[in-house]
Amino acid sequence: MPALPFYILSAITAGCALGTVALRNTVTAAFCLLGSLLGMSGLFVLLDAYLLAALLVLVYAGAIVALFVFIVMLLDVRGSDTRPATRVSLAAAGVAFAVLGAGLAVTFGRNLMATPAPLAEAPGLGASLKFYGEQLFTTYLLPVQIVGFLLLIAMLGVIVISKRFAPVEDAK
Amino acid sequence: MTVGLDQYLFLSALLFAIGFFGVLARRNAIVIFMSLELMLMASTLALVAFSRFNGTYSGNVFVFFILAIAAAEVAVGLAIIVALFRHRKTVMVDELNALKN
Amino acid sequence: MAPDLLASLILVLPLASAALCALFLRRQGGLASAVSVTAAAAIAVCSGLLIFGGHREFPASWEWLRFGDFALSIGFKFDDLSALMLFVVSFVGFLIHVFSLGYMHDDPARGRYFGGLSIFMFSMLGIVLADNLLMIFIFWELVGFSSYLLINHWFERPSAAAASKKAFIVNRVGDFGFLLGIILCYWLNGTVNLSELAAKSSAGALVASTAVPLLLFCGALGKSAQMPLHVWLPDAMEGPTPVSALIHAATMVAAGIYMLCRVHVLMVPDALTAIMWVGTITALYAAICAITQRDIKKVLAYSTLSQLGYMVAAFGLGSLAVEHNVTTPGAAALAAGVGAAMFHLTTHAFFKALLFLGSGSVIHGCHHEQDIFKMGGLAKKMPVTFACFTIGVLAIIGMPGLAGFFSKDAILYLAMENNTSVFAVLTITAVLTSFYMVRMWKLTFLGAPRTESSEHAHEGGFTLWAPLVVLAILSIVGATGPLGLFPKLAGSVATLIPVAHGSAHTTILLVSLAVMLTGAAGAWFFYRSSENDALEQASPGFFRVLASKLWIDEAYGYYVAKIQQPFARALSFVEQIALAGFIIRGLAGVAGVIGIGARTLHIGNVHVYVYWFLIGVVLFWSYAMGLF
Repeated sequence: MPALPFYILSAITAGCALGTVALRNTVTAAFCLLGSLLGMSGLFVLLDAYLLAALLVLVYAGAIVALFVFIVMLLDVRGSDTRPATRVSLAAAGVAFAVLGAGLAVTFGRNLMATPAPLAEAPGLGASLKFYGEQLFTTYLLPVQIVGFLLLIAMLGVIVISKRFAPVEDAK
Repeated sequence: MTVGLDQYLFLSALLFAIGFFGVLARRNAIVIFMSLELMLMASTLALVAFSRFNGTYSGNVFVFFILAIAAAEVAVGLAIIVALFRHRKTVMVDELNALKN
Repeated sequence: MAPDLLASLILVLPLASAALCALFLRRQGGLASAVSVTAAAAIAVCSGLLIFGGHREFPASWEWLRFGDFALSIGFKFDDLSALMLFVVSFVGFLIHVFSLGYMHDDPARGRYFGGLSIFMFSMLGIVLADNLLMIFIFWELVGFSSYLLINHWFERPSAAAASKKAFIVNRVGDFGFLLGIILCYWLNGTVNLSELAAKSSAGALVASTAVPLLLFCGALGKSAQMPLHVWLPDAMEGPTPVSALIHAATMVAAGIYMLCRVHVLMVPDALTAIMWVGTITALYAAICAITQRDIKKVLAYSTLSQLGYMVAAFGLGSLAVEHNVTTPGAAALAAGVGAAMFHLTTHAFFKALLFLGSGSVIHGCHHEQDIFKMGGLAKKMPVTFACFTIGVLAIIGMPGLAGFFSKDAILYLAMENNTSVFAVLTITAVLTSFYMVRMWKLTFLGAPRTESSEHAHEGGFTLWAPLVVLAILSIVGATGPLGLFPKLAGSVATLIPVAHGSAHTTILLVSLAVMLTGAAGAWFFYRSSENDALEQASPGFFRVLASKLWIDEAYGYYVAKIQQPFARALSFVEQIALAGFIIRGLAGVAGVIGIGARTLHIGNVHVYVYWFLIGVVLFWSYAMGLF
């Protein structure tokens, strides 16, 4: 597997991620998220998960980030204190970052995962849509149904939450 | 050098840590949400990498469901933030402390 | 009809009658009385079928509760002993129900009264038919409750309310001992079923223990009003007279004796000696107290106490060496006691119910006058009552040929053979019995009428004198002797009665005749027809001592007021401070402090909550990594 596309794409992804969390302007942060997503999509292609790459762009970038941008535009935040982060929270976040990093380093350092077979022997699995369809409708049918149900509930929840309730008039 | 599983996992971990930092550091609720999405993406990357390198499908299929759930979660979460904004006229989390005590 | 069905019917009928009266017929007194009397008649019929139909020892037992190894069952044990008791309870009960129809005719709360009578019948029949000690205990408590209900019938009177409370509380004290005895019996022998206990006894597998029979006797102490728990019986006369006849003369107070006879396999010589002395002392004490009473019902109440003492003493004396057709050697000792006690119980039920119902007729005729010094000359005004009452008096003082003669002789014979001092005491008591009974009879019936109410006395209706006649007949023939019905009723129990032979027979005959004549003559010549008690006028000091009842009620009152109440107050104080204060409010306070502590964690800042998540994740992860 060529290494160069991997490094480029990972640089894009990580860089845009940093941009998301660091930039002051919220709209710019949203677009950095979009960029990060595109990088991820590329990484998926490198991993032979072509369908997932397409889905990532379609669902995540196309719907979710679009929704984020909508909401950012809708909630026109002005007048309040718009510092991105207080100093205390930065320090605390840094400490948390360090803790997390240390944990991950320990996990990797102890070599807890067996090194798998070299990549070349692994067949390309993610190419055929037919295979996904088969799996989804046989082995994973129950999770599909449950997720469908979940989406229905989420839709209902959103409708209920975002209703403006008029004050109830006394019955005359 | 060849790109092995370790590199992908390192990238996933890095993305996760960045997202976590964003959740803890930012004051804008929407940006916190976006960092949350970053964390989710990192975990999907790890899943797909594992699935690819172990030669199974289940990781890929699982990512399907993660996508669906992430979509639902974002929809509901943003609806809550909009409702909060209507009441409190702010999305900064340090001003949203009405549940104190 | 199947015997267990008959027995179940005997129990269910009064319960149904009581439920009907209590739930629906409180206001309709007439209908309630009809229902109750019908139920009593049906019970009498069923009992007759069961007793004279020859059904004995049929198996009938249903498991009610089960806790692991222990099972509480409801069942019937029907042998000759329970057949005899069933006859007494159901027939005398039926006669008293009929009497109540006339006596309580004008009472506005008739419905409640008849409901109470029915629930009493249910409880008493439960005791009679029960096959295990726990079932006896359950119905024992129910009988105490029915007694409370009925004594308290005219509850507007504070004296009636106080008397019913006293009866219940004193009974409760005895029942506590009873329950301890049952539990100890179960602990030692592994069963409370009477048949199983009898089987173990004949196999020699019973654990010998003095505590068990003495504790069980505590129950009889309370229910049969032996000393020191006798104080409730005279006060229980506050209830209507048929109630006194049924409950406090014929059946409920006899339940203690019956229970002792049921558990006779558990008795040991030491316990029997204690029982004997308690009975003897009670008999003497009650006879002394009866001499000074003015109220006709109180005289009869003390007479009942005294006769119950006789029965208990008879049971305790049961160690006659002579065998009476019983097979196991140990059983011979007790069998005579059981026989004598049950014989006297039966005859006592007949003539004491007769006497009480007679006094009820007198009271009814004299328009609720109860003081015997205000009566007189009723022999001509109420001839039927006079005749029956006379038969009852003759029976109780031991006139040869009547029922009481045979049963009293059996007890005196038993005493003579076994314990001379007890024999002496019982003989003196018999003299006193004769004395006070003739005193009451003479003052009530003979002479000229002393007051308005006795001037206008009249005989009651059919329902009032018919039971009297029946009971009078039973008092004559209800024993052994040429016309005796008792052997037919009692079957094998009758064979257990100690009968004197030869020279002992003559001795006993002479002793009882002498006793009767001494007492009767003494009372006849001493008491003149007057408004005042001749003994009181002759020696007031002595009379005061006798009338004080040895200050036992005052002693109880002192104990409760000066010892028990301060102790209760001290305990209440400790409870307020320690239990309610420290422990309960303290624990609540601790919970409150924890709540306050937890509340401070709710900052309201979302970031802080995320840090809490992080800490949790780190802990889980290090545990998973095996870091600790």
